[in-house]
Amino acid sequence: MPARTPAGPIALWRSQSGHAAASADRCPHRGMRLSHGFVRGEALSCIYHGWSYARPGNCLRIPAHPGLTPPETIRVATHEVEESGGVIWVAVGEPTIQPPRLEGLAPLRSLTAHAGIAVLEAVVGAKAGPEGLVWQAQNSQEIRLLLVPQEDDHTLIHVLLDEKSSASQRVAASRAIESLRRTAEYLQAKGIAS
Amino acid sequence: MIDEWYPVGLFGQIENGWKTALMGEPIEVAFDPGREVKVTSEDGRTLPVCVRYGHVWSSLGKPRKDLFAIPEADQPGRRFVEVGVVRVRCSPLRAVENFLDIAHFPFVHTDILGAEPHTEVHDYKVEIRQDEVWATQVKFYQPQAAKSAAGGITTEYMYRVPAPTCSVLYKTCPPRPGEWDVIALFVQPLAEDLCDVWPWMALFDDVTPMTDLIHFQQTIFLQDRSILENQIPRLLPLDPGMEIPTRADLTSVAYRRWLKRHNYKYGAQLVAQ
Amino acid sequence: MKLYDYVLSPSCYKVRLMAALTGVKLEIRPVDFHPGAEHRSPELMALNPAGSIPILEDDDLILTESAAMLVYLAAQAGPEWLGSGTPEQTARVQQWLSFSHRLTASLGGARLHEMLLRPGDIAKLQAQGIAALRELESGLVEQGLRGMRFLASDRPTVADIACFPYVALAPDGGVPLDPYPGIRLWSRAIRGLEHFIEMPGIHRLHELKSEPDAEPGEA
Repeated sequence: MPARTPAGPIALWRSQSGHAAASADRCPHRGMRLSHGFVRGEALSCIYHGWSYARPGNCLRIPAHPGLTPPETIRVATHEVEESGGVIWVAVGEPTIQPPRLEGLAPLRSLTAHAGIAVLEAVVGAKAGPEGLVWQAQNSQEIRLLLVPQEDDHTLIHVLLDEKSSASQRVAASRAIESLRRTAEYLQAKGIAS
Repeated sequence: MIDEWYPVGLFGQIENGWKTALMGEPIEVAFDPGREVKVTSEDGRTLPVCVRYGHVWSSLGKPRKDLFAIPEADQPGRRFVEVGVVRVRCSPLRAVENFLDIAHFPFVHTDILGAEPHTEVHDYKVEIRQDEVWATQVKFYQPQAAKSAAGGITTEYMYRVPAPTCSVLYKTCPPRPGEWDVIALFVQPLAEDLCDVWPWMALFDDVTPMTDLIHFQQTIFLQDRSILENQIPRLLPLDPGMEIPTRADLTSVAYRRWLKRHNYKYGAQLVAQ
Repeated sequence: MKLYDYVLSPSCYKVRLMAALTGVKLEIRPVDFHPGAEHRSPELMALNPAGSIPILEDDDLILTESAAMLVYLAAQAGPEWLGSGTPEQTARVQQWLSFSHRLTASLGGARLHEMLLRPGDIAKLQAQGIAALRELESGLVEQGLRGMRFLASDRPTVADIACFPYVALAPDGGVPLDPYPGIRLWSRAIRGLEHFIEMPGIHRLHELKSEPDAEPGEA
């Protein structure tokens, strides 16, 4: 699936054996977005011509030339990926520290807001730290938000909740986060208009 | 590129006037009181006009030669198929390059123009003939090469690029061995990264209803459209290094070189960014 | 059963897809919608004065609303596609069937504008499309929290088929699907169904087929 990081757009994929991987979202052959591609076994293939890439980024196969072993020089840039507590972290450059362990939390959903991080922080009334933003929503339990800046002042929000939450608590939190997004987008639009 | 001819509309559909654009300039195609086709730019200039292959052609500059010839268009017994316009958010040059490519058939036109495991592209010939790019002896296994094809066959192709945003493809004609079906892609550059594509065909096929022929070609082109809108960058890179070709891409390599030699760079990117 | 069909129409595709999934054989009558505007011809207007396609004709029955066609096919050949019949599921199916019209108006309108140059207020159509996609995403997230993968149930129903095509083709109208992970999973679940068929713009899930063995290097 596609994702946007400060290092640019990436194609995030999981191999059949369960390993998550991240590569640049562009096939070096003709520039097609690799996030439109398909995963077979341990390789990600481009939808355009079927060129396939291993997790380290080297090209494994060029279907137009089945007998050819692709040269080492054909590769896609990759990023280091860590999975921790149901959250996938992608490193920009060489990571020096491990991603935070968010003990006791379980991921709920991810959504995009047409609002910047500052506006979201203002609505929540707190600043985001390395372990995200803690939001005490009305009529809901504490919600943890991990914020990732996107293009055009949009923000990708990963929502986490106490792992012991009931199904109805989760639905309530999912609705609460949409209200938060509505408020933030209203303020963002108003801020730009004024 | 400003002095080249470009398609700007279907001749049969300009009765009430047709507002469009050419290389960033709004233009209008209509009949004048004497029933002659007239193309006018926004600043009131009357632009050159020719009507050929079912389409109206025009130019913002002064074309130095006639529109390229497709001799098959005058051959008796052929049916002419006007497929209609499809808009694509991509460089007009990317649209042409995709049309010249066969290696994507198994993945993008699955079970129609190609299918795994028949993915191999055998060597073919590319040359410049009278200042046009030509690829010949292109062969590919196809499950359903044309509306009239019943089963899988190895189809032979010839490709021709007679103008920077137009390509003509000749392919084996199942009902008439020895003849070639003609499928052309006429691309109207609206902007460097936006184009209107007008596919057109001249076929030997007396059996298939016209609507089926149109739908077959629209199906193929719409499968390509979702690829074309997701290539990065939108413009076609002319400098080697940004994209990696293989032997299967010789037509594309020749096309890019030909564009560069002629300084055809509207819709192209010259320096890797 | 005869379907007046246009190969690029998501509404026509809904009917073809439903028929494929339930194993119903349709007689296809292609309509030259673009560039020929045949849907406005006297013959077609006589069948459907609204001048829209698809039209489904079965003896005396003429249907002009795709949701009704899905229900008709399901009732005939696959009643499990109508939901289990509990009040809640019946209502959810109806909820999303009605909702699907908003997808047609917004995402479908944006697609016709961006692809086939039909008139329209593109910014408004795209904004309405995004609003509809967000509703669908929320609905799918909540269904997921209830342990269900589809809009009305844990199995697909006519509601999913009614919503799927315009959603999957949203990028044709300049509305990206990248921000909706729930829609992505749902769309893949539908594309992975047995007897699923494609339409132009919705690619085959090549991962469902295994890698062909590398052919020996041929001369």
